[in-house]
Amino acid sequence: MKILIVDDFSTMRRIIKNLLRDLGFTNTVEADDGTTALPILQAGSIDFLVTDWNMPGMTGIELLRAVRADEKLKSIPVLMVTAEAKRDQIISAAQAGVNGYVVKPFTAVALKEKIEKIFERIDSVK
Amino acid sequence: MSNTLRPDLGEFEHLVKDGAVDLLAHIESGDFSGAIKIIQELSEARHTSFYNEVGTLTRSLHDAIRDFQVDSLNLVEDDGTSDDASRMTDASDRLTYVIEMTNSAANKTMDMVDSSVPVASELKAQAKSLRKDWGRLIQRDLTPQEFRNLYKRIDTFLEYADDSATTLHSNLNTILLEQGYQDLTGQVITRVNDLIRDVEEKLVHLVAVAGRVDSISGIEHKESESEHDDTRGYGPAINKQDSPEVLNNQDEVDDLLSSLGF
Repeated sequence: MKILIVDDFSTMRRIIKNLLRDLGFTNTVEADDGTTALPILQAGSIDFLVTDWNMPGMTGIELLRAVRADEKLKSIPVLMVTAEAKRDQIISAAQAGVNGYVVKPFTAVALKEKIEKIFERIDSVK
Repeated sequence: MSNTLRPDLGEFEHLVKDGAVDLLAHIESGDFSGAIKIIQELSEARHTSFYNEVGTLTRSLHDAIRDFQVDSLNLVEDDGTSDDASRMTDASDRLTYVIEMTNSAANKTMDMVDSSVPVASELKAQAKSLRKDWGRLIQRDLTPQEFRNLYKRIDTFLEYADDSATTLHSNLNTILLEQGYQDLTGQVITRVNDLIRDVEEKLVHLVAVAGRVDSISGIEHKESESEHDDTRGYGPAINKQDSPEVLNNQDEVDDLLSSLGF
């Protein structure tokens, strides 16, 4: 299981990376916005995407839409971890096909719960 | 509206009223060159009062920016020749300093956590294994060889516990001290905040005066509204309770998503 963490703040990437490691996901890569994340995704081998919304260059919602529009990438589960908490934004993320939405500031428990829920759903579809 | 005018603009208004009466009198008496002279005087008075007002405001804006100094935390060399633009840059530099400082504090804190977690895990693992054999000792279930082994392991463990407690104590202290960023960045942000309030207050005043002069001179401006691009995001919500459009916590987000079939 290889996870790509996309956030423009290195401290937030580090927090998420550490929490993921505690959950047993030790194989992670990082990118600082959608523009740098897409080539990593297109190179293959990424199984799960955790992304922020508000980033310079390509934002998280644009990245999500790009992933869903790409035949090769569209089945990758996407978890949004963001400070954006407007009703309309969450609805557009859901419409764009997000698999989970965690608002910052978040707890380790919330992150764990959302990730587990996403995997449960994927397993039940299989 | 006229009673809210500043004295010099009120004076200008009187001048316009008196001038109009004079103008009419000159026209009625057929003295057109006198009439033109009054029009010119009025026009000059209009310019003068507007530029006076703008001048006053420009000076107070300049003063507000110049007053913005945090001597103990000066990040930009001030040789006294810098202009207003570079003082604004100074405010921006200070905010960059806040980002750098919070970034460094967060990283140092996480470094300390990273170096503490394995120590705590090792302590736990050793204690767990010792406790098992200690239980067997109480039950008198150990062979003499196992007892000698346990004896040695307890000695090693106590030494390790002593050392790790020292390490953890020092890491916790470092974490504590790193929180000092809050004080320093708080001071910088308070200063920048004061500047923004000051500048805003003066700009609002400038806009108000410009509006009054506009109404006297008959200039109209078209309002242009810029729409926010939703994909760019809004950043963390402040005063969430005041806005029904913003969700307050993860539970509300989960409720919304489940109502959408998630």
